[in-house]
Amino acid sequence: MAGRSLFPDVRRDVAYPVGSAAVLFAVFVGLALVYQTLQGGAGAESLVTKVLIDAIMVIGIQVYIGNTGVLSFGHIGFGAVAGYAFAVVAIEPTQKQTVISDAPFGLADVHLSPVLAGVVAIVVTLVVAVVVGIGLARSGAKSGAVAATVITLALLFVSHELAVNWNQVTGGDRAGLSFSIGDTLQSRWPVYVALFGSLLVALLFARSRTGRLAQAARDDNLAARAMGINPQVQQMIALLVSVTIVAIAASLRVYSIGNITPKFFFFEYTLVTLVMLIVGGRSSVTGALTGVAVISTASEIARRLATEGYEFFGIGLDSTGTDWLFREGLPDIVLGAAMLIFMIVKPNGLLHDWELDRWLHRRTHHADATPPVVEPAAAPAPVDLVVTGAAVSFGGFRALDGADMTASNGEIVGLIGPNGAGKTTLVNVITGIVPPTEGSVVVAGSELAGQPTHRIARAGLVRTFQNLRLFSSLTVRDNVEAAALSASAAKIDRPRVDIDALIAASGLWEMRDRRSSELDYGNSRRLELARAAAARPRFLLLDEPTSGMSDAESLTMIDRVREMARLVGAGVIVIDHDLGFITGICDRIYCLDQGQVIAVGTPDEIQANPDVQAAYLGSAAGA
Amino acid sequence: MSELVQNLIDGLGQGSVYALLALGIAVIFGVMHLLNFAHGELITVGAYVTYASFTNGISWYWIAPILIVTCTVTSLLIEQVAFRWVRGASDSTLLLTSFGVHFVVEAIFLMYVSASVKTFNRPGWITKTVDIGIAKVEVFDIVVIGVTMVVLALTAALLQRTMFGIALRAAASDFDAARLMGVRSNNVIRGAFALSGALAGVAAIFWLMRAGQATPAAGSSPMLKGVLAALIGGLGSLRGAVIGGLALGVAEVVLRSQLPNAQLQGLSNGFVFVLIALLFIFRPQGIITVGHAERV
Repeated sequence: MAGRSLFPDVRRDVAYPVGSAAVLFAVFVGLALVYQTLQGGAGAESLVTKVLIDAIMVIGIQVYIGNTGVLSFGHIGFGAVAGYAFAVVAIEPTQKQTVISDAPFGLADVHLSPVLAGVVAIVVTLVVAVVVGIGLARSGAKSGAVAATVITLALLFVSHELAVNWNQVTGGDRAGLSFSIGDTLQSRWPVYVALFGSLLVALLFARSRTGRLAQAARDDNLAARAMGINPQVQQMIALLVSVTIVAIAASLRVYSIGNITPKFFFFEYTLVTLVMLIVGGRSSVTGALTGVAVISTASEIARRLATEGYEFFGIGLDSTGTDWLFREGLPDIVLGAAMLIFMIVKPNGLLHDWELDRWLHRRTHHADATPPVVEPAAAPAPVDLVVTGAAVSFGGFRALDGADMTASNGEIVGLIGPNGAGKTTLVNVITGIVPPTEGSVVVAGSELAGQPTHRIARAGLVRTFQNLRLFSSLTVRDNVEAAALSASAAKIDRPRVDIDALIAASGLWEMRDRRSSELDYGNSRRLELARAAAARPRFLLLDEPTSGMSDAESLTMIDRVREMARLVGAGVIVIDHDLGFITGICDRIYCLDQGQVIAVGTPDEIQANPDVQAAYLGSAAGA
Repeated sequence: MSELVQNLIDGLGQGSVYALLALGIAVIFGVMHLLNFAHGELITVGAYVTYASFTNGISWYWIAPILIVTCTVTSLLIEQVAFRWVRGASDSTLLLTSFGVHFVVEAIFLMYVSASVKTFNRPGWITKTVDIGIAKVEVFDIVVIGVTMVVLALTAALLQRTMFGIALRAAASDFDAARLMGVRSNNVIRGAFALSGALAGVAAIFWLMRAGQATPAAGSSPMLKGVLAALIGGLGSLRGAVIGGLALGVAEVVLRSQLPNAQLQGLSNGFVFVLIALLFIFRPQGIITVGHAERV
């Protein structure tokens, strides 16, 4: 079922989003039309058009911010690029001659149909987005990264500076570019089509393989890379999808208003759209749409209170006594205050990550009550992991000092040693999280030392973390599925194991639809194990899988780890302090001290080894 | 040669103001991981106070202390009203909170003063130039550079010699550890906002004497320059913030004087943004690296 397709489960990931897009569209447009009818007049009609276009814009922004967690202040900058590109090619030449007669490339004589002009706007904006996206990737963009936010802010300002100063194309600061009167958007249909299309794309993207991988990386960038996900690729795709929608919204905005000046797509519109997105809930398309509705309503009420006074249920609120509040600037203060209050009281917005299609799926679709039972994969061909002379220095301190180790995928190997012996550093080196200063890591004949973490994970070295790193906002099942999707996206040819079977084998079947941040410590550890197993590993590297567990739980973990390794046909390398666990599970044990391997052997040999005793108890005991 | 010297002094004059703003932003980022987009609002408030003072006939040498007090008090007030409620929240939440403060303050002035520009008459000596042999320089640039050096020296002494300074630097390098060692987070955060406000007060004097006007959006431009300078220096590094501010000032002035025509000169801000974006692309951690290693 999962296969290599873009949508892991057609029913859940295509049918439900399509249905939900239709529902959201119908409700939103329905409410808007009710308002338009009740209110009547040209003012109401243009307000509704404006709100519908704002909705497209906000959904476009949501695709990027929601799925990647990177806070962008620059999407309205992309809007400026698109808006000008659209206006320059769509406006009639006679109209353009007066303001931009000396435009380069004969742009003043170009006259395209609105649809073609929209396509031009999308293409131009995508080119800019690729450049910005490369910059974002280089800067190490991830959820909450400040440098990434500033790069997007720089885009907003550069596009504004260009709009103000590049008079030959933009018409400059004051004049801008205008359509002839009567030459603007006459029908509402293009807006409806674009709104439905953007809802559909946004909901589908969130359920697609790319969207799911991006969300995993949003929740924990490092853990995502350790599962073989390259977040930069997912972020770039999210950016391009997002910017396409933004370009369409910007073109429609210019086309419906009939002109464009630099301040159209600058700070003020950035604030408006960001507040809508944040108040509604940036992790959800339904939330984004809710935010547009709530903030548009609040802004309109504030605007009327400020300019004309208003009647609430027959009570007239005219200027007497309320003049201090109902005056110019009220709509602005409402927006700013909404941002502030939500950040303090409800930073995840009204809906947080509640999404219509997921909710409907949970309500209507009951999966088989009993977990599937699967036979383990046929034993894979033997593969060796060979670490030679691995060394790492932090400043002058050699955390790892020429450690050698081998393991085959048919065995369970333990790493023990006192605190600071270099066990975790060795696992970090093997999985590429810390590049080795010297030494090599070879799996199945290929050198992995110095490669990025996600490549090493795809080569079959998949780890868990000492301090838990789950994709905290995803459900238990989505955590495991993200790792499985990462493996299928990377076209790994090792046999895949059923996701549900892995969840059942980890004892998490009953909790599969719970948010992973709600799990207790032991279950979180078991989920990390299942997630790592889903990435089709050759070797599972487990960093203290029993830490924080009771003795009884630790002992059951022995069977779990064995079962998991057998299901996916992987070898295991495990660090632990629980000697009962380590001696119970391992075929061989390496003992490290001060960055070097001081002993290797079966559990019995290691326990009898005087060097090991000395390392643990101090030199006096070994002497 | 003379052009070079002139540009350099111009640039350092501009850069001094940016450095003071950036230092204030870096101090706050250090203690609570807040990238403060509301820092410019101190200048906005200062601008209206300056306008009110000048229209009431108060002379310029009184305005300096008034501005420093105003900005310090405003900074503490903003902390009390907004930032204390989001302490410890995610970096995005903090950043958006400051964005909210920025717009609320702007809107308050829009509502209760006016959207229109309020100009005030600056003392005459601000625009005078003096010939120092190899170049003609503005007197005000010399004053700005001199005062900034004194202020930075005082700040350095405060940070190096006093208990508060040591606590603040400790908190900036590892907030949790500092708290465990008995540093009172409340006092350190409030102190950081006070220091940041006082530095912004000095910057406000320089900025406003140049600008000579107050508008609701007066703080946007200095805020942006301060944030950029702090980022150039490597956010959280105090020394980096000062270097970043000076570098940004010099880069702006040099670009403006070297670009061939008026239109490109108009775009010099745009070029500065592109340069900064490039810096982040090749050195995302800024000029001076502050370790925030993730423990695995």
